[in-house]
Amino acid sequence: MAILGITVLALPLVGLVQRAPWTSLGDLLGRRSVLESLRVSLTVSLMAAGVVLVLGTPLAWVLARVQVPFRRLVRALVVLPMVLPPVVGGTALLFALGRRGLVGQWLDRWFDVALTFTMAGAVVAAVFVALPFYVVTVEGALRTTGDEMESLAATLGAPPLTVLRRVTLPRLVPAMGAGLALAWARALGEFGATITFAGNLPGRTRTLPLATFQALESDPEAALALSLVLLAVSLAVLVPTRNRWFPTR
Amino acid sequence: MRFLSALAVVLAFTLATPACGADDASRVTVFAASSLTDVVDDLAERWKVAGGPKVVAVLGGSSHLAAQLRDGAPADAFLAADANLLDGLLSNPAPADLIRGLAYNHLVVAMPSDGPGRNPGDLYDQDLVLVVCARGVPCGDATWTRFDDLPVDSHEPSARAVVTRLDLGEADLGIVYATDVAARPGLVQAWPQDPACPCVAYAAAALTDRGRSFLTFLDTPAARDVLVDHGFAAEPPS
Repeated sequence: MAILGITVLALPLVGLVQRAPWTSLGDLLGRRSVLESLRVSLTVSLMAAGVVLVLGTPLAWVLARVQVPFRRLVRALVVLPMVLPPVVGGTALLFALGRRGLVGQWLDRWFDVALTFTMAGAVVAAVFVALPFYVVTVEGALRTTGDEMESLAATLGAPPLTVLRRVTLPRLVPAMGAGLALAWARALGEFGATITFAGNLPGRTRTLPLATFQALESDPEAALALSLVLLAVSLAVLVPTRNRWFPTR
Repeated sequence: MRFLSALAVVLAFTLATPACGADDASRVTVFAASSLTDVVDDLAERWKVAGGPKVVAVLGGSSHLAAQLRDGAPADAFLAADANLLDGLLSNPAPADLIRGLAYNHLVVAMPSDGPGRNPGDLYDQDLVLVVCARGVPCGDATWTRFDDLPVDSHEPSARAVVTRLDLGEADLGIVYATDVAARPGLVQAWPQDPACPCVAYAAAALTDRGRSFLTFLDTPAARDVLVDHGFAAEPPS
């Protein structure tokens, strides 16, 4: 059964690799359109990772350390994007932040800020799907380590900021790194929310997954080559990552 | 162990059940270009009245559907917005398997019906949000043949996706089919436009015997009437 299980997961990848146009790979990946979507993908996913770091760290800390009301509901909300179909997430973003959305109409009217069809919109979509991966990883690490060290440091007279800087953060760095790597990989692979909310424009919002989807219709060889790039990047992120999702033993 | 055997039984049933869709004798699976969304239901209804079986419509960008069919998707008939897409699917088709020029459609520049008045120069206004079909889908190929260097904000995977952007007010202008504007109260032509080519010629292909019976129906005046009622032209605009 275990062998069957791993086969279900690995077989599609084997299929992808065996059909790969190895000989023309360099040529396919050197195309301007491919490099352009690679650039968009890297920009969007790195910016998303930055936002995830800034927003996710305090959120993880609050979930792990503070007695928030309706904690179960808040946690469910945090994890929701992991199981929600991304296209639903994109639709939700459209009705919230689109030009006629709940908040989007005011952004448009007061600040002349539009998120749909912009790279910022693609970043928002990526953050929406990637944030849970970071928060869950860091929150887990905070819970596992406990707060005895912090209490001890505070008892010995360290001010709160010093405790944060000298005790909490240093022990959290590995988990933050792992969470960030996961979140970044998820942001890089984001498709449904991006095409629904941010649209598809070369050089602005056409990321690698969108380019793959489009290439599949007209140029399957190029789609294969792009898929290989995404696969390679994902593996490169996941294999060295160590945290509670990937216990090393 | 009981759980495992139950699981095995479920798996065995799942694998043993023939793929539904094209194999289900009481249904005809029709893959149709997304611009035919509204008309397919009416065609199915009319066919049922004429004694035909139930139609299961799968709608999408023609090129995307063609790619799925090339990969073995089970369909009985395919209504595409570009006859060239059928070439790779049918080797040496019999005349009954193919209708070229099933109906014609042309592109118009559309806008949300509650939007401010526009003129043709607005098409090139960088500050307006303009959404068109992506190259590689029929509406996109026609768009890019007729206009170039448009300051586009998004390349959508199907004509219907452009319609939705306009319907939701996310885009100021979009290039869609004349039939889309006729079908959606939320959309109007951005300014008066005469029918102009390049136009889209829909073609139908039968992939199975049941698909062939659907094509026979499509060739009847009743089916043509349905298409014309939805704003499709019987002849290419000159």
